[in-house]
Amino acid sequence: MTWPIATAELFPIFSYLYELLESTGLPQPWLAIVVYTFLAVVMFGVLALLALFLVWWERKIAGHIQQRFGPMRHGWHGWYQTIMDAVKLLQKEDVRVATRDKPVFFWAPVICFVAAFLAYVTIPFGEGLIVADLNIGILYVMAVTTFTVISLLMAGWGSNNKYALLGGMRSAAQVVSYEVPMVASILVVVLFVGSLSMVDIVQAQAGGIWNWYAFRLPFGPIAFCTYIIAATAEANRTPFDIPEAEQELVAGFNVEYSGMKFAMFFLAEFVNAFTVSAIAVILFFGGWHGALLPSWMWFLGKTFMIVLLLMLFRWTYPRLRVDQLMEFSWKFLVPVTFVNIIIAAWFKYAGWYW
Amino acid sequence: MPELRTEEFQVNMGPHHPATHGVCRMILTMDGEKIVKIEPVIGYLHRALEKICENRTYAQCIPVTDRFEYVTAMSCNQVFAMAAERLAGIEVPERAEYLRVIMLELNRIASHLIFYGVTAMDLGALTPFLYGLREREAIIDLFEMTCGQRLTYNYIRVGGVAKDIPKEFIPKCHEAIDVITEKMSDYEGLLNENPIWLVRTKGIGVMPAKLGIDYGVSGPVLRASGVDYDIRRDDPYSIYDKFDWKPAVHQNGDCFDRYLIRLDEIKQSIKIIKQALEGLPEGDIKAKVSPNFKPPAGEVYARVENSRGELGIYIQSDGGKKPLRVKMRGGSYCQLQALPYFGTNCFIADLVAIFATLDIILPEVDR
Amino acid sequence: MTRDELKDYITKQFEGKMTLLDTGRHDPMFEVKPADLLEVSQKLHDDENLQLDFLCNLGAVDTGEIFEAVYSLDSTTLKMRLDFKLILPRDGAEVESVQKIWPGANWFEREMWELYGINILNHDNLKRFLLPDDWDQGHPMRKDWDAPDFIRMPEL
Repeated sequence: MTWPIATAELFPIFSYLYELLESTGLPQPWLAIVVYTFLAVVMFGVLALLALFLVWWERKIAGHIQQRFGPMRHGWHGWYQTIMDAVKLLQKEDVRVATRDKPVFFWAPVICFVAAFLAYVTIPFGEGLIVADLNIGILYVMAVTTFTVISLLMAGWGSNNKYALLGGMRSAAQVVSYEVPMVASILVVVLFVGSLSMVDIVQAQAGGIWNWYAFRLPFGPIAFCTYIIAATAEANRTPFDIPEAEQELVAGFNVEYSGMKFAMFFLAEFVNAFTVSAIAVILFFGGWHGALLPSWMWFLGKTFMIVLLLMLFRWTYPRLRVDQLMEFSWKFLVPVTFVNIIIAAWFKYAGWYW
Repeated sequence: MPELRTEEFQVNMGPHHPATHGVCRMILTMDGEKIVKIEPVIGYLHRALEKICENRTYAQCIPVTDRFEYVTAMSCNQVFAMAAERLAGIEVPERAEYLRVIMLELNRIASHLIFYGVTAMDLGALTPFLYGLREREAIIDLFEMTCGQRLTYNYIRVGGVAKDIPKEFIPKCHEAIDVITEKMSDYEGLLNENPIWLVRTKGIGVMPAKLGIDYGVSGPVLRASGVDYDIRRDDPYSIYDKFDWKPAVHQNGDCFDRYLIRLDEIKQSIKIIKQALEGLPEGDIKAKVSPNFKPPAGEVYARVENSRGELGIYIQSDGGKKPLRVKMRGGSYCQLQALPYFGTNCFIADLVAIFATLDIILPEVDR
Repeated sequence: MTRDELKDYITKQFEGKMTLLDTGRHDPMFEVKPADLLEVSQKLHDDENLQLDFLCNLGAVDTGEIFEAVYSLDSTTLKMRLDFKLILPRDGAEVESVQKIWPGANWFEREMWELYGINILNHDNLKRFLLPDDWDQGHPMRKDWDAPDFIRMPEL
């Protein structure tokens, strides 16, 4: 077995640890288990921190858009306020409705949380900085992130609350509708790369900004726009946040959740936002490619830019209505993405692009 | 195969729900996401203000009216003071009338700014809320400077106003309305042409003018349906007939027009305030009225145009120092009453938009 | 029409049905007999020269001896105001509902029924709404109403 993080420029210490582990003479299946458990814990820690950072960042951005400061009290510009929030949520009483469907109610946040984190198996954070380079990478990510919708539906059903049920139903309808344009936009890139592997996709965009798929006219920008719209819907963020539409459904699917379970939904939402942005970067903005700085910095920087875009959407647009949302997907996004695929296929066939 | 059928179900919207602006409860009968029937249930904020007023002298009633409709408390003060003045035949000094008009119009702007923010927030746009409240703050500061209160002013009294304005009021007021005039383009820029805003509000919740008149809907909501009716012009009180302005009227009666008309009203109010500040005469601010004055027996129904429609107070006096009966009538009361007749057959998200653009505030409904 | 013209017009047109009272301090105030209510209301609403299509306010008054029901009307087209009132006995007060003419009277009448105990005939939805559903302490707006925790203001 090869070390998963093969050429890790970030953590040479990993290689050292691995060699140390190998020298103990642990037999093979156990060695892999230890390594992957360790990686899972590291990944979990990194993502939890990222989610907390995103919460803080979103609050700062919202504050500055709205001409206020956002969190200011805890540390420099309130940097540890979200950490304190998370600690508070963990300590809170777990209020449970008496009429809930017990197993469904319990497992919904767990599945939501797990599904959000599963995608990170194949996300390359930098050159070689990937847990496992699956050959079906992007397909795998699509598959596991869609798992979130099951958890939302479970949360809606298990709460035994009409608002929650409406929220769950809305989220199911929404995710199913937006999955189609999202996959169709991704298909354009896959068509050109000829591979589903994340690493291959990023490698195909090496060699300068004009190789990034977002700038390959004419289909690249269109695919990126449709992707980012569908991704916003997929991550349940305004203007497509109808499953939890505060002013209509109070809090939608998570209306009955509190304490730690709520925190799991909440963090999963931000992890999802980060996931869709990371995929956007991998597919359209050359992943880790960039000059001078280390590759993981480029990757994170680009991803944060896309997250910033999502946040700007959220804090400037009103929310769409549920039927308008569906119409937008089926009557506008789906045709556009399909036409786009045909254009891209023609370009590929004619050999106008490499 | 069993026949496919759907079942209607009931949802309680409220008493605590983010979009009901207080504690209104609506029992919605829904068919999926569509609303089939609305039944408003009110009374959660009933504080028996009318009964309390019967137990107090006229002067003591003014603070009670503040609590009637707290977003535009000035006009509640005004309408009660006006009713008592008409009962007792008290002449109000001209300076006091000018001050009243300035305060009333400032308060109207403040209320419409809240409307602007809250409506946008109900439709999911959170930023306009802060924008609206930012400029409202300048107005509230003016009120605080004048009467020491930021929400329940108790400023307009029977026979005049409580205090004269401080020296720095006029420059600050000019400054505030200049800022608001300037920021109007921001407000319009944020929402007026926003495509999502347009699809959410255009053609939604159309209230026919006939229905509005039948159910006693008044104010901006009725004017958005094309009825050119403004009490400030048609049943003039105070000194509104001295100013050059005209009520804003829109034709469609949908949520978008109800939103636009508020922005237009802000502009008209600014026009009135500018004229009032220019023409502000010197003189007394309060007629000589005994705190325990006894109006002769009689009755009067006085009404003003406030930002939610017709705000009326009926007072009957039996010649004593306390009113025999005070009946308060608020614009929101009738608007909430009319809601079930044009708010059905739409989505729950539309109901939120309709409810927000009616600009209902619940203390006024429940009293 | 000015207020004086309105007074003349009403006294002429509604001879014997509406009598001018001198208690109205700003707008003219008339008295209508409870039996004539529907007929008079319909005519006020439909008359070409009045067109009183807007019910501003409707409230009951308890003077201690009698009940009054005060109707404040307004015309959105001709821009004029008019009030009229009914005198009702305190025992077994009854009044016809005017919601066929002005549908907006619905809630006002409910309030009268709830707070004063005036029975409204032909009303389609007489249910409690300001007071709690299980309220059993009578009609609180009546002058003689009392409850254990109700404190009157001391006389000045």
